[in-house]
Amino acid sequence: MVRIDAHLHVFAKSSSLFPRTSTDLAPSDREESIEKFLGFMQENTIDQAMLVQLGGPQIAEHAYLQQCLKTYPDRFLGIGLIPPNCPDPKAHMDRLAEGGGIVGFRLGTLGGPRDPFAPIDVRTFESYPIWQHAAERDYVLWLYIRAADAHLTAYLVEAFPQVRVVFNHLGICPGEGKFRVDEYGRPRIETPSYNPSLHTVYRLARYENVTVLLSGQYAFSKQAYPYEDLMGWHRTLYNDFGADRLMWASDAPWVYEEPGYGQMTQLINQLMPQISESERAAIMGGTAQRFLRFPQRCSLP
Amino acid sequence: MIPETVGPTPEQKAQWELEGYIVLENALRGAQLQRLQAAFDKAVVECKEDWLARVARGETMPTCFDIPQPLERDEIFVDIVDHPSWFGLLQDFTDGETLFLGPQVRSVPVWPVSYTGWHADVPMSNPLHIKVQIYVEDVDEKSGEFAFVPGSHRAGSGPYKRPKMGESMPGHRRLPGKAGTAIVFNSYGWHTAMDNTTTTSRKSIILIYERRTPEKVHPDTFKAIAPLCTTPERRALFGLEV
Repeated sequence: MVRIDAHLHVFAKSSSLFPRTSTDLAPSDREESIEKFLGFMQENTIDQAMLVQLGGPQIAEHAYLQQCLKTYPDRFLGIGLIPPNCPDPKAHMDRLAEGGGIVGFRLGTLGGPRDPFAPIDVRTFESYPIWQHAAERDYVLWLYIRAADAHLTAYLVEAFPQVRVVFNHLGICPGEGKFRVDEYGRPRIETPSYNPSLHTVYRLARYENVTVLLSGQYAFSKQAYPYEDLMGWHRTLYNDFGADRLMWASDAPWVYEEPGYGQMTQLINQLMPQISESERAAIMGGTAQRFLRFPQRCSLP
Repeated sequence: MIPETVGPTPEQKAQWELEGYIVLENALRGAQLQRLQAAFDKAVVECKEDWLARVARGETMPTCFDIPQPLERDEIFVDIVDHPSWFGLLQDFTDGETLFLGPQVRSVPVWPVSYTGWHADVPMSNPLHIKVQIYVEDVDEKSGEFAFVPGSHRAGSGPYKRPKMGESMPGHRRLPGKAGTAIVFNSYGWHTAMDNTTTTSRKSIILIYERRTPEKVHPDTFKAIAPLCTTPERRALFGLEV
């Protein structure tokens, strides 16, 4: 039974070989290598994983990600980034994907009307060419959409039923000014207990091309591991989407120190005790293998 | 003061018990309806920018817009709480123990999916919980109209699943209506807003009531409108006295 970590980040120290943007989360001298992650995979019987670009959207800034994908082609797939105001997003997407390995792109904004009462024409959205090209080339779209754009997703999902969509981190859409780095160097997103995504992202369950990552709990929970205050969100996602459209992910490296990678691999057992073994297998890897089309490989011994 | 009210007709009482809802056409009309519409639109204009900012901060949902503290904005929002078109029914159903819990003065934008799915508001162990949904403008079929599963409020009904498509709920009834229509429903029952496939947003007001129990009476909740509550009946309705 395959086990797949459907969302994590690796990055090298910033260098001429691996240039990248420095951030509070990933300063230029920090390194979270693929070898370190492979060690955690081995320890926790994780077979494959989705590496999500961190460190900037420019082509050159993807160098470390691309090296990892080239070195371990049966282990990892990748998600790239697109610069804001990219003059030719289609060419950018194709250039990143041409070596194989990068199968999709992460978006944080959609570029449509801020007012939910405004008339909507998806063809005017800034992200429309990206969606159109994803539909043409079968790229996955990896959505961690800001709250101001949360109402726009339904229009695009409906317009492009052939695009595979993955909502990141429990489908939460982070609000302006709600991000900070916590004492463990992890992202922290202040989120209301009554989750607004219940009435946006979670309402998209009727669209078969939409899936959700069960990840990032540490960033939203008001409690320590195992984040029991989020059991209700997990139950709702399970009821609405079902195990065949939910994927577990660790969001490494932010979890290495607290609560620890091994703990993250146990989190679904803690938060979703009601599910069957086959559903657990789907969430822990089966759904990702099918939906993201990971190459077949044997489980680690 | 609370205007003179009348209780349900025998037919209404039978429908309430059997089906769990009653539609009151023309419950509001004429100048009073126009006054409500004007107050509603004025509040929307006053509050919209703040709502958009809260949406952007991730503090509230973008798929429905509730006016904050509406009772403090215009007296019409207080006057409809004990409106004679439905208050007599509420008093009958609660044996004269109606307690007002709160209003939702709600605009629902057009969206490809309804902002909410099929649900019941409270378990049947809760004291009787009643809502009155008032259409402020015409709500046609397929424009986000309220829908209810008749009989789903009764013990032993169901079990009910939550279909992804609103129209897939077995036995449901869509309840479109003209401006001024009020729908009184038992919140034990399963209900939703249907998808809105038109180009017109839905404007409605949802008034929430319950059979009075001591633990639900909080005199501070509506103290801002205490000057408008000059009769014992209204003070009891708004829970201004324990």
